[in-house]
Amino acid sequence: MTELERALVTLGNELEYPQTPDLWPGVRERLGSDRRRVRPQLLAAAALVALAVAIAFAVTPARSAILRFFHLGAATVERVDTLPPAQQRSLVSGLGPALARPTVHVPGSLRVRSYYSRPGLAAALLRYRGKPVLYAVLDGDQMGIAKKFADSETRVEPVALGEFGLWLEGGRHVLQWGSGRVETRLAGNVLLWLRRGKTYRLEGDFLRSQMLDLARQITL
Amino acid sequence: MVGRPLDESELIRRAQRGDTHAYEELVHAYQGIAFRTAYVIARNAGDAEEAAQDGFVKAWRALARFREGAPFRPWLLHIVANEARNRRRSAGRRANLVLRAATSEPSGDAAPSPEASVLSHEQHGALLAAIEKLPEDQRLVLALRYFLDLSEHEVAETLGVPQGTVKSRTARALERLRESYD
Repeated sequence: MTELERALVTLGNELEYPQTPDLWPGVRERLGSDRRRVRPQLLAAAALVALAVAIAFAVTPARSAILRFFHLGAATVERVDTLPPAQQRSLVSGLGPALARPTVHVPGSLRVRSYYSRPGLAAALLRYRGKPVLYAVLDGDQMGIAKKFADSETRVEPVALGEFGLWLEGGRHVLQWGSGRVETRLAGNVLLWLRRGKTYRLEGDFLRSQMLDLARQITL
Repeated sequence: MVGRPLDESELIRRAQRGDTHAYEELVHAYQGIAFRTAYVIARNAGDAEEAAQDGFVKAWRALARFREGAPFRPWLLHIVANEARNRRRSAGRRANLVLRAATSEPSGDAAPSPEASVLSHEQHGALLAAIEKLPEDQRLVLALRYFLDLSEHEVAETLGVPQGTVKSRTARALERLRESYD
């Protein structure tokens, strides 16, 4: 750098600019109208892909509701206007007592804290990257899980996993374990996928990429 | 929910999926350089604010086309610079010497840094005046490169010109500055 260039850098450091305003409030306001316009399209696209590959497709007679409700193996995902009442509960709430015996296969590299079993469902509470994650396997295509979301921040995206997968992330969801006594609670980020007639589910405070890594460890 | 700080590429991926919280972090990370870039082009704080804000909104709408792994800052600044240029053209005016040298005095016993000792305060004013007399394209290249510390590649991306053009404009600008300043 020449002396003149050094002088320009020095001058640049001593220039007085107007204070930078906080641009986010104005940007956010204008993004809000964009999001309201785009979100239904994204949801519709995700739902259509899910519909094309779902094993069983159990919709109500009201075909107009088709884009609000789709079925993935033993799980249903439904967009609702108002979330049903639900509370923040433990990941294993509604799964019954913890069991010592393994109920699902978990690779030896993963740490299992406890196992659970219900008709048509087996689960394990794992420790992954220092945080809990619930791993569940559901049999068949009867409704075992109902997932409801209403928050506009919730994203539903297809993922390349098994025969078909879905990633749900963002706002608050309500989860219902559907068989037997219904338990309702708020749920976190969820990865759902179908493989060889079973529905797999992972739930925890993880990024999509992290959850996909874990899913591949489990099912490979 | 507590998570680790997200890196830029993850924020961009999330924003591409419609996550406004991720985009908020990107806006806060880059609003300073975006505003200054708009300011050196538009030469008016109000126009610069509007240009930077419009740039962020347009960048959001264009995020789907953003190439994964590409540097975000020059891509964003290119959009902001276009907005600032449009405002400047439409305003049809150019403020005289909007860039002003700071007037702070050296403090107490602190020895001047080598950089600070290169030029005196008066010389700064003379150099700034010489820069103001440069053609617009040359002045902008110098401002982005030396005042805002953008790389040559970033200057090229921001202005939408080949990197060779940035090199030649910089060389011509420095030559003219030497002639007028020496």
